Amino acid sequence: MNHYLLNILVALALFTFVALFTTFGVYAERKVSAFIQDRLGPMETGKYGSLQVFADMLKMLQKELITPLAADKILFALAPIIIFVAVYLGFAALPWAPGLIPASINVGIFYILAVLSIETVGILMAGWGSNNKYALLGAMRSVAQIVSYEIPAGFAIISVIMISQSLDLQEISKQQGILSAENVKFLGFIPVKEVGGILAWNIFRAPHLIVAFVIYFIASLAESNRAPFDIPEAESELVAGFHTEYTGIRFALVFLAEYSMMFLVSMVGVILFLGAWNTPLPNIGAVKLADWTTGNIWGIGWIFLKSLLLIGLQMWVRWTLPRFRVDQLMDLCWKVLTPLAFLCMLISGIWRLWLM
Amino acid sequence: MEQGIFIFLGLTTVASAWFVAASQNLVRSVFMFFVTLFAVAGLYVFALADFVAVTQIVIYVGGVLVLMLFTFMLSSKETLEKLEESRHPVFTLKQFPALLVAAAFLIVLVNAIFKLKPDQLGWILQATNNTFRPQDNTVTNIGTNLMTTFLLPFEAISILLMMALIGAAHLARKERSFD
Repeated sequence: MNHYLLNILVALALFTFVALFTTFGVYAERKVSAFIQDRLGPMETGKYGSLQVFADMLKMLQKELITPLAADKILFALAPIIIFVAVYLGFAALPWAPGLIPASINVGIFYILAVLSIETVGILMAGWGSNNKYALLGAMRSVAQIVSYEIPAGFAIISVIMISQSLDLQEISKQQGILSAENVKFLGFIPVKEVGGILAWNIFRAPHLIVAFVIYFIASLAESNRAPFDIPEAESELVAGFHTEYTGIRFALVFLAEYSMMFLVSMVGVILFLGAWNTPLPNIGAVKLADWTTGNIWGIGWIFLKSLLLIGLQMWVRWTLPRFRVDQLMDLCWKVLTPLAFLCMLISGIWRLWLM
Repeated sequence: MEQGIFIFLGLTTVASAWFVAASQNLVRSVFMFFVTLFAVAGLYVFALADFVAVTQIVIYVGGVLVLMLFTFMLSSKETLEKLEESRHPVFTLKQFPALLVAAAFLIVLVNAIFKLKPDQLGWILQATNNTFRPQDNTVTNIGTNLMTTFLLPFEAISILLMMALIGAAHLARKERSFD
């Protein structure tokens, strides 16, 4: 029985983390956007507006749940739950530290891709259930975009998997540092298994993975429906896209899903390309920086820090670039990113056969 | 506990599949199909086929189901309503051939279940000393088999998919105007 209790506790801990991260993320997003647009952002509630998000949360929890008269009531109520749960399920397979992973499964990364594809069903459900043409158009755009961008993201991920020869995220993490069981070679030639640090990360083990990482990052922006890929909720055309009709806690769930998705895709990117929970500090002669900074506590710290950096990058991109038009969006996906991702996969195969 | 989950998944599969077939609301039955597929994926996990379970979700939920929903949303509401109205009761003369086929298939299945003695089948007896633990990695096994024993079918399927892809691109492309 203890086994089940532990599983439930882990799930609760992950949920708490997701909720806390969302409050932090919303505050950070508002402050970052304010900084980029030369404003102050929230300043009134608490010191430097730090209580603003909690005030917003209280307001949202009190609001009435409005269901439109013409809506399909069951689908309308279920959709936000499915959207959130799809993202939340993905957290189960993510490793946090050398000995810390909620569910260690052989098909880790494949499982994450699978549960993320459930989100599209939730979005279509919301769009159809709302019985509102803006919501439906937003849902269609969103799903078309997510389905298209899954292809370059998938191939970028496959090029990593071909290098690491494993779908297990913990195994992929282990290979990128001093805990690796096999030889690690910097740029394919210089053995760095003892040195570790930033030199052993996947993007430096095989330099074409830098391109794959950029492809993955762009595609992950599109998959979490963030600017410059936010045509699904383009407020100047579609009111708010698929979540136009949602109020109160249901709207909060959609938001929670968006921010957890940001964290999830960043963390997957960190695990696959940027060394997961491995330290960026290499061993230099007698100064064993990598040995000193590898461990469970350090691991959590490193992976969290790296993910936050990627999220910061996402926010920076969002508030800097204008929105894509639909045709530009599809052109970028099918004519630039997909061929490049195929090329990366090809190079990965050759790299694995001849250089590793 | 495991048995409880297994029974729950089995019941969910059957009940949701029944709803998919019987529901008057087409869109709801497509969304219910999602539940069926998910429960079947859960059953695959019980058979220690985790890779098949995840593939089921990727292909059917992420691909086929979304495609079905897209066709729904691109077709007009009147067509859908006409389709929903034109449902007849199950037992009519028009549906007699379908009923006959279904009944015959049921008889075959029931017959097979009763005549089959699963404890004495050769390949099952062989498999008992060839056990498989939940920790074992099935992916390597599948990959090796696909690239050795089943290479020809694998390549044949990839050619088929390639043909479908080219066909779709041909259908979707803009007609060049000859003027």
